[in-house]
Amino acid sequence: MMLVVAALAGACNRSDRQEGQEASQRQETVSATVEELLSAPADYRDKEVAVSGMVTHVCRHGGQKCFILAGDGETQLRVVTGGEIEEFETSLEGSMVAFRGIFRIGETVEVSAEEAETGEHHTGDMPHSEAEQSDYFIEATEFREVTP
Amino acid sequence: MNWRKWNRWLHRELGYLFFGMTIIYGISGIALNHHVARHWDADIISRSDEYTLLLPSVKDSVDRSTVESILEVTGERSSFKNYYFPDEHTLMIYLKGGHIDVDLSSGRIRVTTVRHRPLFREIDYLHYNKPKKLWTWFSDLFAIALILMAVSGIIMLKGKNGLTGHGGILVLAGILIPLLFLLIHLWL
Repeated sequence: MMLVVAALAGACNRSDRQEGQEASQRQETVSATVEELLSAPADYRDKEVAVSGMVTHVCRHGGQKCFILAGDGETQLRVVTGGEIEEFETSLEGSMVAFRGIFRIGETVEVSAEEAETGEHHTGDMPHSEAEQSDYFIEATEFREVTP
Repeated sequence: MNWRKWNRWLHRELGYLFFGMTIIYGISGIALNHHVARHWDADIISRSDEYTLLLPSVKDSVDRSTVESILEVTGERSSFKNYYFPDEHTLMIYLKGGHIDVDLSSGRIRVTTVRHRPLFREIDYLHYNKPKKLWTWFSDLFAIALILMAVSGIIMLKGKNGLTGHGGILVLAGILIPLLFLLIHLWL
C-alpha cells in the first residue's frame, strides 16, 4: 500500500515538474511584430517567438515556406515549416495567421534546381523576393489561422 | 501442386488485392509525369477571367470602396478575404479559393479562381504518402507486390510465348527502353 502511494506521489511530482517545465518554456516565448523582429534581430536570435501577419504567398513547391506582411504593408518575413508542420496550404494566402516558432538568422537559402527552373524561388521580381533572400526567418512549430 | 501453379495463384491473388492500388498509382503517376514535364497541377482546376475598369493609378488613391467596386464587377464580393499592395501600381485582392491581380496603371483586372480537381486530390494524397503511418506499410506492401507480380508474370508461361520466346524479347525491350533514356539524357 505504501509503495503504491509513494509511486503515485512520485508520478504526481513528475507530472507537476513536467507541467512546470512546459509552463516555463511557454513563458520564454516572446511576442513580437515583424517590424520588431527585423529592427533588432540579434535580440531574438534562436528564441521562440510568437508573431502574426497576413500571409501574402505560399510557395507552390510543397508549401514549405510562406511570407507574412508587416504592419507597414510592405515589409515581409519568411516563415518555413518546422516541428510537426508538414506544409502550408495555399488557402492561407490572404489570411491573418498567428505563428509560433524559432527566429533564425543567417542560414543560407538553398535553391533547388527544380525551384530555379520553375521560378518558384524568386530572385528579385516578386514582392516577397527580399524576404525570400533575407537572412532572417521564422522556423514555425505551430500556426493558427486567426481570420479566414 | 507444382511451382507454376503456386506462381499463378500468387500472381492472381496479388492482382486482385492490389487492383485498386495499381489504378491509384497509375493515374497519379500520369499526373506526376505531366507536373514535371509542363508544371501541370492535377490537384487543382484554375480559371482566369479578365476585366478592365477605370481605377486610380496609384495605391494611395485606392481605398476600401475601390476594392468593393472591383469585387462587385467581378462578382467575388462573397469570397473576399483581404488585400494589399505588392507595389505602387499593383493591388492584390485575396479571395476564398483564388485571388484578383489588379494593375492600377492600366485598370486591368485578372481574377484567378482555384478549386480542387475531384479524384486527383485524393489519389495524389495517397501517392505522396500524406496519411503516413499505416499507409506507409500498405504502400510498401504494394510496391513489393508489384515486384512479385512482375517476376511471377514473366515466368508464368513456358514455350514460344514464355521468357525463352516472344515474352523474353518484350522483357528485354522493356529493360532497354529506360536504359536508352538514361544513356541519352543522363550518362552521356
